[in-house]
Amino acid sequence: MSDQVTLTIDGRQVTVPAGTLVVDAAAALRIEIPVFCSHPKLDPVACCRMCLVEIEGPRGPMLQTACSVPVREGMVVRTDTEQVKATQEANLAFILLNHPLDCPICDKGGECPLQDQTMRFGPGISQLVEPKRRKQKHYLISDTIVLDQERCVVCWRCIRYLEEWEDKPQLGLFERGGETIIDIQDGKPVDAKTGGNIIDICPVGALTNRVARFAFRPWEIERTPSICNHCSIGCNVRLDSRTHKLRRIIGRENMAVNDQWICDKGRFAHAWVNHEERLTTPLLRKNGQLVPATWGEAVQYVADRLRAVKQQHGADAVGGIGSAKLSNEANYLLQRFMRQVVGTNNIDHRDGGAVAALPGGIPALADVMKPQYGPNPKVDTIFLFGVDPSEELPILDLHLKRAVRRGGAKLIIAHPRQVELTRYNGPYLRYRPGSEATLLNGLTKYALAATEGDKPKVEQMVGDVTDAHLADLCGVDPDAVQAAATLLATSKSALIVYGPMAARGETGQAVLNGLTNLAMVTGHYERLAYVGLEANSHGARDLGVLPTHLPGYAAVEDAEARSRFAAKWGGDLPTRPGLSYKAMLDAAGSAIKALYIMGANPASERPVWAENLEKLDLLVVQELFLTETAAKAHVVLPALSWAEVDGTFTNLERRVQRAPRAVRDPHSKAAPDWMILDHLASRLGSRWGYADEHAVTRDISESVPLYAGLTWEALGDQGLQYDAAPVRPRPAYRKVVQAPLPAADSASFALVTGTVLYDGGDLFRLTRQMANMAFGATAVLHPADAEKLGVEAGDPVVVSNAHGELTLQVKLDVQVPPGAVWIPESLPGAPVGALLNGSDAAAVSVRPVVERQAALAAD
Amino acid sequence: MAINSFIKGALEIGKAMGVTLKTLREKPVTTEYPRDPVPLYPRFRGKHELRRYENGLERCIGCMLCEAACPTGAIYVEAAENDPANPTSPGERYAKVYEVNLLRCVFCGDCEEACPTEAIVLGHDFAMANYNRRDFILTKDVLLNPQEAHVVIRPE
Repeated sequence: MSDQVTLTIDGRQVTVPAGTLVVDAAAALRIEIPVFCSHPKLDPVACCRMCLVEIEGPRGPMLQTACSVPVREGMVVRTDTEQVKATQEANLAFILLNHPLDCPICDKGGECPLQDQTMRFGPGISQLVEPKRRKQKHYLISDTIVLDQERCVVCWRCIRYLEEWEDKPQLGLFERGGETIIDIQDGKPVDAKTGGNIIDICPVGALTNRVARFAFRPWEIERTPSICNHCSIGCNVRLDSRTHKLRRIIGRENMAVNDQWICDKGRFAHAWVNHEERLTTPLLRKNGQLVPATWGEAVQYVADRLRAVKQQHGADAVGGIGSAKLSNEANYLLQRFMRQVVGTNNIDHRDGGAVAALPGGIPALADVMKPQYGPNPKVDTIFLFGVDPSEELPILDLHLKRAVRRGGAKLIIAHPRQVELTRYNGPYLRYRPGSEATLLNGLTKYALAATEGDKPKVEQMVGDVTDAHLADLCGVDPDAVQAAATLLATSKSALIVYGPMAARGETGQAVLNGLTNLAMVTGHYERLAYVGLEANSHGARDLGVLPTHLPGYAAVEDAEARSRFAAKWGGDLPTRPGLSYKAMLDAAGSAIKALYIMGANPASERPVWAENLEKLDLLVVQELFLTETAAKAHVVLPALSWAEVDGTFTNLERRVQRAPRAVRDPHSKAAPDWMILDHLASRLGSRWGYADEHAVTRDISESVPLYAGLTWEALGDQGLQYDAAPVRPRPAYRKVVQAPLPAADSASFALVTGTVLYDGGDLFRLTRQMANMAFGATAVLHPADAEKLGVEAGDPVVVSNAHGELTLQVKLDVQVPPGAVWIPESLPGAPVGALLNGSDAAAVSVRPVVERQAALAAD
Repeated sequence: MAINSFIKGALEIGKAMGVTLKTLREKPVTTEYPRDPVPLYPRFRGKHELRRYENGLERCIGCMLCEAACPTGAIYVEAAENDPANPTSPGERYAKVYEVNLLRCVFCGDCEEACPTEAIVLGHDFAMANYNRRDFILTKDVLLNPQEAHVVIRPE
């Protein structure tokens, strides 16, 4: 049977792949068949009856739904007969019977398929004289989505999206006939992390965006194709702006990255861009107070003071901290500034040098995607080690769900928490934080047992791990470990992903080595991937915001690479590796006398760092907001955000994508990061001479071999991937030794950290509509533990250890294992770093706040 | 020759005086503005006004259709959501900002045509001279409180 089918539509022949639906075949001929319920990314249901066309059959032409009938060889379709027209008119009249005349106040007005199709295919006049049905209007189905049941035409797109993609059937149809309504189930709001996508696909104004409500009209906004800056997926979005203000963000299709979906944080959390708390003028500390200053004053002050510190204490007393949230251009210039102008390798960013990362990221996100009519994902097994995509990378979560449910992929998850994705097939390994090495050795051992042929020499390295170790030390069922290892060993193409939570600190290198062993034993080394979590985690590493590496992962000791960059930049480059992020902040005030911090907020991470920053001779902070760190600075330089300046970002699959300028506040004096650094460099005697941000992009493409050819023009709207082969280290088996677990007694809890989507960062908290969704300053406990402690949800508890203590509210969740407490990073006013000292494994004690006990005793 | 031209001249004068005498008894056309009011046609399109319903709610719902219809970009609207307890207009939406730039306006009346609630109308006030450029931008305060409240809804 041929896989191509030829059919006739309106007398014209078209050849399409077998299985194509008639509506799509017609679209190939540019014949529009009106649809409401049909959507290219959702399964057909044919419930709106709008797409009825005549299809020739044995009993003459019959009306059939074009959105659900696949093409047949020799099929004859007519979309322009009297009967079809009459049906379309009747159908539209029927749909409009109860559709309110809300268009002037409806956010969909102007981009509404119902409006468009009524104009194109509708009857022209209304025969309705009776009053319309009244249903609920302005009904919040979540904090960010408004439902108007009167406007709904019951196409089920929202219901189907939540079922088919999110696998969270949180919306349903209720009542019957003309009374049919869409509603939430059991009064529970839609809390799917990508639930906002139902707004984009709603063909009417029934579902609208609460954050952007009434803030825009489709005919007057400027549309800028850009990318999201919240996580490292780099979802393609469209920024809609008007009068220099960002009004709305919607998803944009990129079949290599995000299909067309984006998560709710990316869609709704953008109020910070035009927020009044943004810095608009440079601030200079005079008499202990930060007061507004001119750019000339501020930049000259920074230049003079930097020169003075360098002269007095040497270049290595200066440190620079970049940001994985900022563009490639900003980060490239900051490391160039530190290395060329200041002359030190003290340059790093959060989760930078102290993380055992593997360059290159995921081979391709498309390998795990399962589009509606596309092929199954290329990888058949996905092993997530210490990554929780639901909280960290919501669109990867969406892809994985789809890959598992539609593409037959298997999911193996190793995580201290029973994360949401564990509800699918495949073994789940809940390990104790700190015991990663033993778990990985165990996996490698079982994988070796499952493979045939020569046993590599790694066998002796892992041979001493026993089931008892796995069960006692890691708290993992050895059978699950065996199942996972067998699955990996027998899989044709497995993707192994680990994240910063597992790769940080002292255990990080052990995790990387352990995973390398496992990946090599099972034959999946080329698909072993580290994923950073910030928008440009990968770009910041690629472009040398690391104390040990120049741009393109050339070691700072490499004389050839140094001379190459020196020839390009001028001057001599420092040879000694610099201090990491953590080391710089720990040494701030002692070995480090001056810090240049761009887009980072270490003062909010650890109380001890906040103290250290105050001891510095010079603290320069280049920021969007007056953060905790900026408030301690001697000079605060106001910068522009990702939406206000052209920049490129590198996502977790090495795709370099453009984020062009969409808005800019004409009253603000804030300047782009590249311009601030360029001016500063010239005050310190180094003329860089970048004319604009594209010149920086061009410089990167010319100086960094990895980014060769990736100029602004070449990147286009969908971005380009660079070739990872040159930077992937050659694998070697290494012995992995289990470090001792943090001392713990039976009363202490293991501390589990990690990232949550709705944290307390500035980029989230300033969207006031989402305030209730925030994670809050909470410690999450297993209900059994809470009972033991005598606390209930909402009670305050003190979590403490030798390093510090925090007072937090209790939240109960069964996904936290018994004997552990989950305190995510970046919670408002609750720096979990206070309890950590370098490593991510720590034991803490949890006790109820005394007043509560006293109150209970009094009862 | 001289007599002929004299007679011709006298005739011409007589003719002219005839016209004068004829109009002597007619009412004068000139209006003593500003002492006397200027007669205006009902469809005269003058300074803009925003109207209210009888219960005091604003008619304008902030739909921005006037802005879309305006050929000169003279109108700027910023919509917002009504506080259900204390609404500004009926329904969910109202105009938080409504500005008309008189220096751009060509008084074509397209905004009136576009308005679904007959909120914006061109009134009969035509005395729009001002000393300050800023004062040519009519804000909601001005638009909602016309100095002469004599707007007639046009029949069409």
